[in-house]
Amino acid sequence: MAQKEFSVVGKRITRIDAYERVTGQAQYTGDIQLAGMLYARLLRSPHPHARVVSIDTSKAEKLAGVKAVIHHQNAQVPWASGGHTHRRYIFNNPVRFVGDAVAAVAATDRHIAEEALGLIEVKYEKLPHVLDPNEALKPGAPKISTDGNLSVGKGNFSAPIAEQWGDLEKGFKEADRIFEDTYISKHVNNAQLEPRASVAKWEGGKLTVWASTQGVSNARTDIAKDLGLPLSKVRVICKYMGAGFGNKNQAQDYDLMAAVLAKVTGQPVKVEFTREDDFIGMHGRWASEQHYKIGVKRDGTITAVELDAVTNVGAYRKQSGNLSGTDFYQIPNFKKVVKPVHTNTVVGANYRAPAYPQSVFGFASFLDQIAHEMGINPLEMFLKNRVRLYANKTPFTSNFLEECAVEGAKKVGWKEKWHKAGAAAGPKKHGIGMALGGYPFRPGLGAAAIRVNPDGTAHVLVGVTDIGTGAKTTMAIIAAEALGIPLNQIQLTNGDTDVTPYSVGESGSRTTPFTGPAVIAAAEDVRKLIFNVAAPQLKAKAEDLDLRDGKVFVKSNPSQSLPLGRAVARSGELIGRATTNPTFKGLAGKSFAAHFAEVEVDSRTGHVKITRYVAVHDSGTIINRLAAESQIKGGVVQGIGMALTEELLIDRFTAIPLNPSYRDAKVPTHLEVPEIEVVFIEHPDPYGPFGGKVVGEPPITPAVATVANAIFNATGKRIKELPITPDKILRAAQV
Amino acid sequence: MDEEIKGKGVSRRDFLKGLGGGAIGTAVVSTGLLDTGKAEAYPTEATGTRRGKSVINLKVNGRGYRLEVEHRATLAELLRDQLGFTGTKIGCNRGECGACTVILNGRNIYSCSQLAVWMDGKEILTIEGLVKGEKLDPVQEAFIEHDGPQCGFCTSGQIMSGKALLLRQPNPTEAQVRRALSGNLCRCGNYNREVAAVLAAAKAR
Ligand code: FES
Ligand code: FES
Repeated sequence: MAQKEFSVVGKRITRIDAYERVTGQAQYTGDIQLAGMLYARLLRSPHPHARVVSIDTSKAEKLAGVKAVIHHQNAQVPWASGGHTHRRYIFNNPVRFVGDAVAAVAATDRHIAEEALGLIEVKYEKLPHVLDPNEALKPGAPKISTDGNLSVGKGNFSAPIAEQWGDLEKGFKEADRIFEDTYISKHVNNAQLEPRASVAKWEGGKLTVWASTQGVSNARTDIAKDLGLPLSKVRVICKYMGAGFGNKNQAQDYDLMAAVLAKVTGQPVKVEFTREDDFIGMHGRWASEQHYKIGVKRDGTITAVELDAVTNVGAYRKQSGNLSGTDFYQIPNFKKVVKPVHTNTVVGANYRAPAYPQSVFGFASFLDQIAHEMGINPLEMFLKNRVRLYANKTPFTSNFLEECAVEGAKKVGWKEKWHKAGAAAGPKKHGIGMALGGYPFRPGLGAAAIRVNPDGTAHVLVGVTDIGTGAKTTMAIIAAEALGIPLNQIQLTNGDTDVTPYSVGESGSRTTPFTGPAVIAAAEDVRKLIFNVAAPQLKAKAEDLDLRDGKVFVKSNPSQSLPLGRAVARSGELIGRATTNPTFKGLAGKSFAAHFAEVEVDSRTGHVKITRYVAVHDSGTIINRLAAESQIKGGVVQGIGMALTEELLIDRFTAIPLNPSYRDAKVPTHLEVPEIEVVFIEHPDPYGPFGGKVVGEPPITPAVATVANAIFNATGKRIKELPITPDKILRAAQV
Repeated sequence: MDEEIKGKGVSRRDFLKGLGGGAIGTAVVSTGLLDTGKAEAYPTEATGTRRGKSVINLKVNGRGYRLEVEHRATLAELLRDQLGFTGTKIGCNRGECGACTVILNGRNIYSCSQLAVWMDGKEILTIEGLVKGEKLDPVQEAFIEHDGPQCGFCTSGQIMSGKALLLRQPNPTEAQVRRALSGNLCRCGNYNREVAAVLAAAKAR
């Protein structure tokens, strides 16, 4: 698509629901109160691996106000999307990690429900457990799945995850030097601010769930499947949600628990998680141990890469457990084996760009290290080895990674500021670092409907949720642009499976590429209807008409026009709709990024201060500059947390998570975050809606490695294990 | 350890004690009441038999209320569940995230960490109370202009902390804004935007 003049796309647009969000009117799941609604709380396992021998709920049930207690004996409901290798239920026996759900209580208020948890008597028979993925792979290790601890499932969930091209042996032979090393990343919780909640209500045989979900359509599909209901009998609603970053996709066990409790009590039920529930009961980013062997030519060109890794997916395999950080480099000979492993720990699954930031950390740190050892400037090293063809064979729909790196280097002043690692004088060491990143841009199934009212205003219906990305606003902008009417004439309804069309779910940066084209197609559909009714009024042929700025006009004579409201005044309502499923033929899609950071490392305390951050992104055309910049800033902040402080600590003997709270998990606050400078390299992608690629996931991908490389440049000591805390920096300085 | 292997029942209370975590609500409740000299009104551990209640008078967003509240209810629960001011959010319920921030007699506080019974005679301002008729507060306006909310779950709290700052310091520096908002987490990482919004609101007045 040639770059054309847009009327709304690309501007700085405030969110269409900003008013609701700044006045407290936006209703999140936890805000819902229904007449006669009960409150539910969960009891969780204190043991990492144990058989539930018996559950005595009699005392809890006698507590005034308690209406129901459910557990594995009276509510054995499968939770299919909770695990793909061994069957997972909403309550499992044996329990497989500290925090695995054991029972849920519904009562007339939350304090009573909480009290009742203390009255449930559970007898456990402890089973041997294993926490370390390498230990878990050894013969004789306690078995978490009956098939063993290598997480082998079907299709997408096969194991080990293997990928290979070229001739590895030849590649290493061609190398002038071969490097080998291991990098380690830890489990980090998504820690979205909205704690989990779900409200369920039955009317006759129909179930309505107000979920805090990233995707109403897939939540409905999952709930219907797990409860054995037809899709028409399940309605999932999510209008506002307080983020999830990948841990609120699909249906969740607590959605099912709410539904079961509502069924048994005959009353609506709200399940609420505590913050601790969220940290220990759900999931975070899978930890990894990445062993690399990299061959390079004298000039730094990569000839071969071998990656051998284990990832810790915890007790259940919810998602891939893959590592994809090598995606941004041109590797002629490649072999990757990633083993997703079960352990008796909380699940490791999707968190913003699931397979990327931890593995970009490993690979880009190592590349930076190799550059150092070979006396090559890291900027040159990254530029030289940047990816040109996906998997060394497939061209990209568009690729401006080089421009990102060159522009970013210019902006940050790389030439003037870069110095040899550890060369800065004084106790406060300056450092500068960079890394490359991005995220797949994939096309897929989307649907949308647009109703044009007889006054010329329009109503857009899309299934998307808005988890904070501004997806509602993006869809409204696309609709306004495609229809040719002002943005303020558009009303948008989202996130209700009884009302809105299918949406893939807001995860994997799929909203714009999946639903965007459907909105455009629905707009084209309704424009045809508009032109049909306008043609006789304008005494012209329908195909000769156009619509812009809310006016229908004859293309050859724009002064011959009608306001849209007049043109459709007698049409009742015109409805356009579309289901689209575009594909890229023989091409790969990706958004790209190059990040740069400057740090100041206090060599006496090990404290790291990020003094400057520049994020340069190729995301094609930017649909909404304001929200897109915010997305980039947010991704970087999460990356900074992962780089410097965040890690879920698990006691080695008891397997109990030690820091399941915001303060102890150390998520970044206002005080740790610098101004993040965002630059977009804007070239429309020929396959993206209005030329746009993806924005949501890319920014977190290079951020961890960028900060790590800056710290190395400051100290001259490579920290190979996340997070890079002051104690590690001080210890490294001593050797 | 050994006896546990043979299957000793572990209640959630023991479990939580072990974790040193989730029983915080109870802990806050009991020590808090000791401070007001009413410890006997509330058991140190919730037993289910003594769910005491008291009547309090308070003002919320300029309106007076006379209400019966449970002793163990927090101000956040009172606002959200009893009065329907759900713009005040609960993100952690233990004084760590700031989603529940409201203004109490001119200062920003965590409403999850205050007991409802302590509010007798107090004056509370919540996000809902910032709107005057149709008119938004300058801080709210600035949050719209500067894309303050991503998911929006922290937004009420950020705005209330910003508002409280501007009440006592109408012309803050950037560093002062950051410090004033530092008790308000934003996992969406929208810190730059929130600071810019508060600074812009200060200029707008
Ligand atoms: S909910 Fe009060 S501080 Fe988090
Ligand atoms: S906007 Fe989501 S937590 Fe701040």
